[in-house]
Amino acid sequence: MTVNRRKKPAAVNPVKIGQSLGAVLALQGCYRAMPLIHGSQGCSAFPKALLTRHFREPIAVQTSALQEMDVIFDANRNLEEALNIVLSKHRPDIIGIVGTELTDVAGVDYQTMLKTYKRERNMRGGLAFAVVLPDFRGSLESGFSSAVEAMIDELIQQVGHRGSRNVNTRQITLLPGSFLTPADVMELKEMISSFGFDVISVPDISTSLSGHLLTGFSPLTRGGVPLDSMLQSLQSGLTIAVGGSMERPARRLHNALGTPYKVFSGAMGLKATDELLHFLHQISGEPVPLRYCWQRENLLDGMLDAHFQFAGISAVAALEPDHLYSVSGWLEELGVEQKALIASYETPLVAGMEREVWIGDLDDAEVLGKGADLWISSSHGIAGAGRIEAAFMPAGFPVWSELGAYMSVSVGYRGAMEWSNKAGNLLMRREAERRESSVRHR
Amino acid sequence: MDPVRKEEFDSGACGSLAPKTKACPRPKPGEAAGGCSFDGAQITLLPIMDAAHLVHGPIACAGNSWESRGALSSGPSLSQYGFATDLNDSDIIFGGEKKLKESIDYIAGRFAPPAIFVYSTCVTALIGEDMDAVCKEAADRLGIPVVPVNSPGFVGSKNLGNRLAGDALLQYVIGTGEPEPEMQPGVNLIGEYNIAGEMWDIEKLMNSAGIAVTSRITGDARYKEIAWAHRARVNMVVCSRALLGLAREMESRYGIPYFEGSFYGAKETTYSLRQMAYLMNDRDMERRVDRLTEREENRLAQDLRPYRKLLKGKKAVLYTGGVKSWSVISALKELGVQVVGVGTNKSTEDDVRRIADRVGDDTEYIPEGGASRILKTVKERKADIMIAGGRNMYVAMKEQIPFIDINQERHKAYAGYEGLLRLAKELTYSLANPVWKLAASPAPWDREAPPYDR
Ligand code: SF4
Repeated sequence: MTVNRRKKPAAVNPVKIGQSLGAVLALQGCYRAMPLIHGSQGCSAFPKALLTRHFREPIAVQTSALQEMDVIFDANRNLEEALNIVLSKHRPDIIGIVGTELTDVAGVDYQTMLKTYKRERNMRGGLAFAVVLPDFRGSLESGFSSAVEAMIDELIQQVGHRGSRNVNTRQITLLPGSFLTPADVMELKEMISSFGFDVISVPDISTSLSGHLLTGFSPLTRGGVPLDSMLQSLQSGLTIAVGGSMERPARRLHNALGTPYKVFSGAMGLKATDELLHFLHQISGEPVPLRYCWQRENLLDGMLDAHFQFAGISAVAALEPDHLYSVSGWLEELGVEQKALIASYETPLVAGMEREVWIGDLDDAEVLGKGADLWISSSHGIAGAGRIEAAFMPAGFPVWSELGAYMSVSVGYRGAMEWSNKAGNLLMRREAERRESSVRHR
Repeated sequence: MDPVRKEEFDSGACGSLAPKTKACPRPKPGEAAGGCSFDGAQITLLPIMDAAHLVHGPIACAGNSWESRGALSSGPSLSQYGFATDLNDSDIIFGGEKKLKESIDYIAGRFAPPAIFVYSTCVTALIGEDMDAVCKEAADRLGIPVVPVNSPGFVGSKNLGNRLAGDALLQYVIGTGEPEPEMQPGVNLIGEYNIAGEMWDIEKLMNSAGIAVTSRITGDARYKEIAWAHRARVNMVVCSRALLGLAREMESRYGIPYFEGSFYGAKETTYSLRQMAYLMNDRDMERRVDRLTEREENRLAQDLRPYRKLLKGKKAVLYTGGVKSWSVISALKELGVQVVGVGTNKSTEDDVRRIADRVGDDTEYIPEGGASRILKTVKERKADIMIAGGRNMYVAMKEQIPFIDINQERHKAYAGYEGLLRLAKELTYSLANPVWKLAASPAPWDREAPPYDR
């Protein structure tokens, strides 16, 4: 409907995350990969610390470690040095160079440098690509999808000369958006493969950030989709993208290879899941597996049980755009009043929503959400939720105030159920606490 | 241990106030770890709890870093707000000074903080924003201190950032205020950030000995107390060399003697308290400190007994990022834990000397190399536990190595006598946890011989 902004010069308690962190996240979903941030040390140290804290896993990332004089004189010397070290010491299968606002403002041209580097060293077999992600645009979500897009471009380039494609109609490429947890990606893979498809997720954080116990330390990513699977994914008969931000990478595959694609803006809640399963049923000709029929009933029964709890309840949510869209749909199904929806930045998806969306920060959530019963945001929102006395539900990124956040499911009937129970329980606890304190102070 | 006035310390540190004995090493592209100078400056100043901290730059520097420290507050929480000018494309092209000015005005108007710290970042430094001028103009107009902190990430390491923050305090804050008349002269604690509430344990001890704290620089501090820091009688630099330059400069400007000490371990704690009383030149106080430390040490020895038994002979690898290495070694030694490997990547020559004083000859020094080097040492030296910062925590978990977090993000306070007891408990809980056995044994079906293997 409309996209609004509150007028204030500074961001207060930002929701927005640097784009480059999104790219680092995307690369964690690729096997034996190394994201290399072309910028100063801090630009890789902060994302590393934050991602580590959220996923409770080691995070692979390196930096070209620019210092003042390097930026002014020759930033590419640092990049070359970094590439030399990373390649010779760790032999990654995939390198993603992430340009920062610093190299952008300084006007560093490393794309050409990378091309020359690859040619001179005769780099074949691996995948090396660069993507420019300055922090004065977008947020985590755009960084993630841009990195996937760049990755796909490079894949297409590599096989481009190999002639015609051998389309495998039983194989689907899944492009999961940045708001999906490792458990979500796993759930989506299972749903799609239960209709008889082979699924290749690009990237695939479900096998890298979900808590494996591979021993033997490596500074590269462990788990994730391997390069040969990524190359094989180009034969897929269909692309399924989840999240509006993943439409562009899906379109890339379509334009270059003719792969048809289907974008699901979200997969959270009853209707969204119905739509996904119905689609899979139609294209496969297979019946919807019994377990999903069960889950659907379980969810509906759970929603009937919980509707007393959600009646008359209002919520405020501050999240990345795609995530906000999904969460808003889920709240709608529960009959919860949506007091304020705040996105980190503007995208076509949120601009096209039927509700009013604000582009802003957690301070806006506090002001616009005053009086709300439920607050949904990253762990940064705890204090704000406390100040307006709303029940706090951690979601999005980063979540450090709760164990297992990265393994919680939000997609499918199961996800809707998990979220509804979680939110309902929080509201019940809040109610009980209030009752208790009102008794005490009589 | 007799109190001594150590003047002969050379500072092998890189910073503008400290004399340079060796150049700051250039971080190695492709192998660098650790935060930027902006990060370092923030760590030092964020514990000034009632001030507003505004980051001037595109979103990531603030957006990726706010609320990531465990520095606790006993009251005001404005410093926990994340403020950023959040520059976009056109701000970069046309300059962000106007937005900075408006942001300062906005924060002053809405939150009425006693002061605003403004941090430059790489991009605003690169495009040559005149932050000093904007801050000065705003301070004059608003009538509150607006302190520019010129420590953009690309000037160097986190350590350098600590020092630059110290410079900002010297230049703009210290000496600009006066304490209330009834306040007793006392000690400044420099470089103690109240991580997990450690400062409170220290303060309790100092209070019991009748030693007043003049300014906390900066753990759980209020802006005004830093402004009157020049009225202290003694400066203690708490187990970190980063702010040594600040102490030195305060000595030459205001004649305040300083010493370096630590609160990790009973011995170091006792030494630090005695040193304070000695430098205060107060016989009564010295006697009170002696009584207090004796009592506390005795009680601690009792309380520690069961844990000491379990910890005796256990081996640890310590990787703290340098600054705290030597003080934590003392604490561990008192518990009977042997340090078989120690990180020296950020230590100065003097730190290394102190480490050498405290460990045996067969201790391995880990100069750099991050996680893989630490793990190698743990394996080769058959260490029982790894003690490091949060960044390496999950690396240890993957290898199923017991781990204790010792850095900025942790939630446990280890300072003082109480802190040593807490450390002993944490080490014991960690080592004795049943998960290590469970994780080490395979699933039942993996234990049997594979059925098809004939
Ligand atoms: S290195 Fe520069 S741009 Fe990166 S986080 Fe630090 S101050 Fe910000």
